[in-house]
Amino acid sequence: MNNAKADIILKTRGLKETYMQGKVPVHALQGVDMEVKRGELISIVGPSGSGKSTLLSIIGMLEIPTEGEVFIDGVEVTGVKVKDIPRLRREKIGFVFQHFNLLPALTALGNVEIAMRFARVPKKERIRRATEVLTEMGLGERLNHKPSELSGGEQQRVSIARALANKPSIILADEPTGEVDTRTRDLIVGILRRLSDGGQTVIIVTHDVWVAERTDRIIRLVDGKVEDS
Amino acid sequence: MLDIILRNLSQRKVRTGLTVFGIALGIFAVIVMGSMSENFNQTFETSFSLTADKIRVFGSSGVFGGSVTTGKAAEVRKVPGVKDAYGLLMAPLEEGGAMSFGGNQIVGLPPEKSQTVLGPVKVKQGRFLMRGDRYETMIGTSIATQYNIGVGDRIEIRDKYFTVVGLLEYTGSFFDATAAVPLDSAQDVYDMGDMVSMIFVIPDDGVDGDLLARRIKLSVEGVDTLSPSELEKEARQSLMIFSVITVSAAVLAAIIGGLSVMNTMLMSVMERTKEFGILKAMGAERRDILIMTVGEAAIMGLLGGLLGLACGWVVVYGMNLWLAEKGIVLFLITYRLVAIAMLFAILLGTLSGIYPALRASRMSPMEALRYE
Ligand SMILES: Nc1ncnc2c1ncn2[C@@H]1O[C@H](COP(=O)(O)OP(=O)(O)OP(=O)(O)O)[C@@H](O)[C@H]1O
Ligand SMILES: [Mg+2]
Repeated sequence: MNNAKADIILKTRGLKETYMQGKVPVHALQGVDMEVKRGELISIVGPSGSGKSTLLSIIGMLEIPTEGEVFIDGVEVTGVKVKDIPRLRREKIGFVFQHFNLLPALTALGNVEIAMRFARVPKKERIRRATEVLTEMGLGERLNHKPSELSGGEQQRVSIARALANKPSIILADEPTGEVDTRTRDLIVGILRRLSDGGQTVIIVTHDVWVAERTDRIIRLVDGKVEDS
Repeated sequence: MLDIILRNLSQRKVRTGLTVFGIALGIFAVIVMGSMSENFNQTFETSFSLTADKIRVFGSSGVFGGSVTTGKAAEVRKVPGVKDAYGLLMAPLEEGGAMSFGGNQIVGLPPEKSQTVLGPVKVKQGRFLMRGDRYETMIGTSIATQYNIGVGDRIEIRDKYFTVVGLLEYTGSFFDATAAVPLDSAQDVYDMGDMVSMIFVIPDDGVDGDLLARRIKLSVEGVDTLSPSELEKEARQSLMIFSVITVSAAVLAAIIGGLSVMNTMLMSVMERTKEFGILKAMGAERRDILIMTVGEAAIMGLLGGLLGLACGWVVVYGMNLWLAEKGIVLFLITYRLVAIAMLFAILLGTLSGIYPALRASRMSPMEALRYE
């Protein structure tokens, strides 16, 4: 392990999330403490309803925890003002979803490029960068295709390219291989591995043991708590 | 951001089209009604400026009392500061016609004074009335067109025939719808005896109209005066009422258009809940979402405004052409009206977009992403 991997990029302390389902409280997370080093490729596994997606969305600042803190790059993101969150999200986080969540009206290039608009990147630079990442994902020939004209594997690669567009420090992928065949799954895991080798931190939520076994470390969630392995 | 806005709008062509059409209808109403009101405004401004310095004296029983006689004119003439004063009889030209905006009227006046009363208006053809005229008349352009007559022709006024001796230039004022006849003949034809509608007072040079009006009222018994400023105030009031009625009807129509924008935007915002969630996950600011949604509404307003303006213009132009044959001018599109209508359309779109936009920008990103 090289030096770059030694520093902590993500740390959570006592994360709790309680949803109200009508009048019944649902304790999705019940005190999660975890640390992730820069450049690590880790997987979060656990039974359905154990709180994996909830944990990921709190790390990604899509949700505010009921209790506890999240530190990214030493910044306590759970303590910043609401209006600073979109900027932090752009700088720190790239999302990859199970259902790709591409905008159907936009081409592959458009889907990647739109992510950089919010960071106020000039148009020329946006096109250049989007072309670059899509080409890295092996989609150099598919720039002007709409999602409906792409295979599942290609769509997932577009969404990885989109997550990478703003050069975030952490990639959060919620079941990125949940909807693709095994050949594409291998391809996507390979891509995520390469990103991690390049110094980017990748956190994958997965039900797939094969995928989990290929990550540096597995975090197991049960009933909203990390289970010691 | 404009490319995204336009893309979103063009993706829902039918819905966008219907909404734009709704606004267009409203703006169309604003243009048509507004141009009518603008025309009356202009007619008034011109009419007023042509007779601005004169004082009108009425019988004290009221403006339309007609209870003032030719004899009073002599009394008024004696008041210091009065240069000249004489009775005028005004009446609708057609039987059953009304003395109102747009209706034709006759003015009975001492024939030798016709130049002073009609003075600001140029003679297009023929001559003014003069002493000794009896069944002669001068007519405005509207009457000439409407009756299709010119100098040398005859016009029937209440069973008597009058020969047209003069044709007035077009002014865009009530003079266009006026036939001037000698006062005596008018009193005969309309069976008015010695009565006149009012006494027309011309002040000496440099005399303040309002002061002189007050002086006349104090020194001559049984009369009321309407000074230039009072006349203006009174006329502006009735003009204002007319404007308020026409314009508020139009504004109502436009607001209904605005509601349809709000409805459309609320619908499309709900449908795109997931999309907003995705955009937020990618780091979109609340401001980005707001601009996107309000922008869509504003552009629909703009398009509706342009369409309404175009249709309104075509209709007004057509109506004016058609009415011109009848010697009537009813609509006037001014720059002011166009500017107000367009501003109103854009504002309407924008305001109707704000609430849906706020809803979109306030959605929690996680809930939006879970939305199916
Ligand atoms: N918005 C919400 N309102 C109420 N309850 C919620 C909400 N979101 C999640 N939950 C509940 O929180 C718990 C954890 O949900 P979460 O989606 O994190 O599970 P998960 O581990 O991702 O499951 P899966 O593997 O099925 O995706 C579940 O019991 C779920 O029903
Ligand atoms: Mg999940």
